[in-house]
Amino acid sequence: MNETASPVIELQDLVVNLGQRTILNHLSGSLSGRCIGLLGPNGSGKSTLINTLLGFYPPASGSARIYGRDIQQNIKELRALIGYMPESDSFIADMSGIRFVRYMAEISGLPPREAMERAHEAFFYVGLGEARYRKVGTYSLGMKQLVKLAQALAHGPKLLLLDEPTNGLDPEARTRMLQLVREIRDAGGVNVLISSHLLHDIEECCDEVIILKDGKIAAICNLEEERKANLKFLELEISQENGFVEAIAALGCETARFSGGRLKIVLPEAIEVGELYRLAVEHTVQIRRMNYRRDSLEDIFLRAMEGPQPAKLSSPPPPPPRTAHGSL
Amino acid sequence: MAVYKRSYKIYDGPRTPAGMRFSVLTRFSLSKLFESRIFTGFVVMCLFPQLLAAFQIYFAHSAAAQYALNLHLDSVLRIDNSWFAAFLGVQAWLGFFIVAAAAPGMVTRDLANQALQLYLSRPLSRAEYMLGKLSVLAMLLSCFSWIPSLLLFGLQASLEGHGWLWKNFYLIGSILGSSWLWIAAMSLFALALSVWVRWRFAATGLIVGSMFLLPGFGEAINAVLRTNWGSLLNFKFVMQVIWASLFRLAPDVRRLIDADQIPLWSAWASMLTLCAFSLLLINRRLKAREVITG
Repeated sequence: MNETASPVIELQDLVVNLGQRTILNHLSGSLSGRCIGLLGPNGSGKSTLINTLLGFYPPASGSARIYGRDIQQNIKELRALIGYMPESDSFIADMSGIRFVRYMAEISGLPPREAMERAHEAFFYVGLGEARYRKVGTYSLGMKQLVKLAQALAHGPKLLLLDEPTNGLDPEARTRMLQLVREIRDAGGVNVLISSHLLHDIEECCDEVIILKDGKIAAICNLEEERKANLKFLELEISQENGFVEAIAALGCETARFSGGRLKIVLPEAIEVGELYRLAVEHTVQIRRMNYRRDSLEDIFLRAMEGPQPAKLSSPPPPPPRTAHGSL
Repeated sequence: MAVYKRSYKIYDGPRTPAGMRFSVLTRFSLSKLFESRIFTGFVVMCLFPQLLAAFQIYFAHSAAAQYALNLHLDSVLRIDNSWFAAFLGVQAWLGFFIVAAAAPGMVTRDLANQALQLYLSRPLSRAEYMLGKLSVLAMLLSCFSWIPSLLLFGLQASLEGHGWLWKNFYLIGSILGSSWLWIAAMSLFALALSVWVRWRFAATGLIVGSMFLLPGFGEAINAVLRTNWGSLLNFKFVMQVIWASLFRLAPDVRRLIDADQIPLWSAWASMLTLCAFSLLLINRRLKAREVITG
């Protein structure tokens, strides 16, 4: 089966009980993003969902599919496609880093020679190349997070499940971790599912978000579409008018003028921001500042936490005015 | 892709057969075990009785050697079913200490730092994980049980002649049956206790303790209740009862080891219960994620 043809993850009325408690309560949805964020407050069921996708917890009812394959019927086959970075410490302390990653790659099915080669590559890729012969038990917390990422990557999976990857990292290491996730996402052919309760982490990397609340889906949101939609609400500061405003209006944009050369514009779907630059050049107008109003993930998250559930937030109502600086 | 080229690439090269992935665990566990010089030294030391036994067989058949040492042991030193049962008994004890030293480290190392979820998030089942670890113990114990026993059987047969071989051919089955029963029971028991306590030294202590304390407890039961059923807690004795049957020991030898103290069926039931209990414990405790209820 072609993995790219079907959604990455499909949930169909999924219920997971642990002991007497229902942790995941009738989850339904389809996720197709390259990088999917799994958001929710502590105890909302994020890790349980990941563990269920890995086959650690059996669904009480309903089903989950990864790349169109049912997790209960094809779990072994699916695990070969998955790289998992757990939230908690998870390693073999008295093994050298390189041996540990090679070992994990071999268990995933790589022949010894290839496993060793990819283990070295994974170590250099995550930036731990110099420490690869040290025992994992001697690594710092940040290094342990990176070695967990290295073991998840070494066998070249198609789906990466990252459970709280930035937990316990200092700002520099956190930035590096998020950068790595973005690089992996952009490498192509790989899907990433990141679980986190840090909105910034998700916003930095993900193009689709599933928000859980009390074991239920509070929202599924396509951030990529959100970003595109939000780019249509623009705030400009220009040096002089020179017929620029009329020209914009002739394009079909709604405009409003304010003092100090400030303009507020709503761009129709068909008009790209580049058109404004072209008109500015034509009318010898200097654009000094351009802001686009952005519906931040925080807004989406807060709405999901407050509002009735579940909500499909691919086309949300306009948020309260809020600006973020765009680049010129 | 060279190591300096830092970009992520999906692996689409060859893969090892899915059914043989457990052997990766066996290979890594074995190499980890023999990284310890103490363990390696102990294993080498445990090989000496085998050499001694081989020399014994040679000596029993070499008139020149007996003459040189001025000893005439032909009638005293008989290499028969009792000799092989006794040899296996000695080897079983050595094997037990090797299991007690090897088994806890193999699993507690994975469990202490929650590495089990990494194994089981890969195309490897819990059964395959256990198979990988059990294979290590089976290989080690084989080197102390059926492999040397069969080699000695071959040596004895070659020195004694074909008549002895055909007369004692059943001993091959006895050796294999007895050895594998011991290997299975000890390996499962040691791994179950290790999985249960999850702490290497405690697990080693518990394994060794169970082999010495449980028989004492069993004897106390025998003394207080004036019964023999307490002996079922003495796994070594229970195993001897089964071996006495498998090796077809003569009544005088059976009396010597009190093999008729408990019925044979109860010995088998005790061993099977031990194996079943061990499997149950492993099944309950060996999980990628534990669910805490209540």
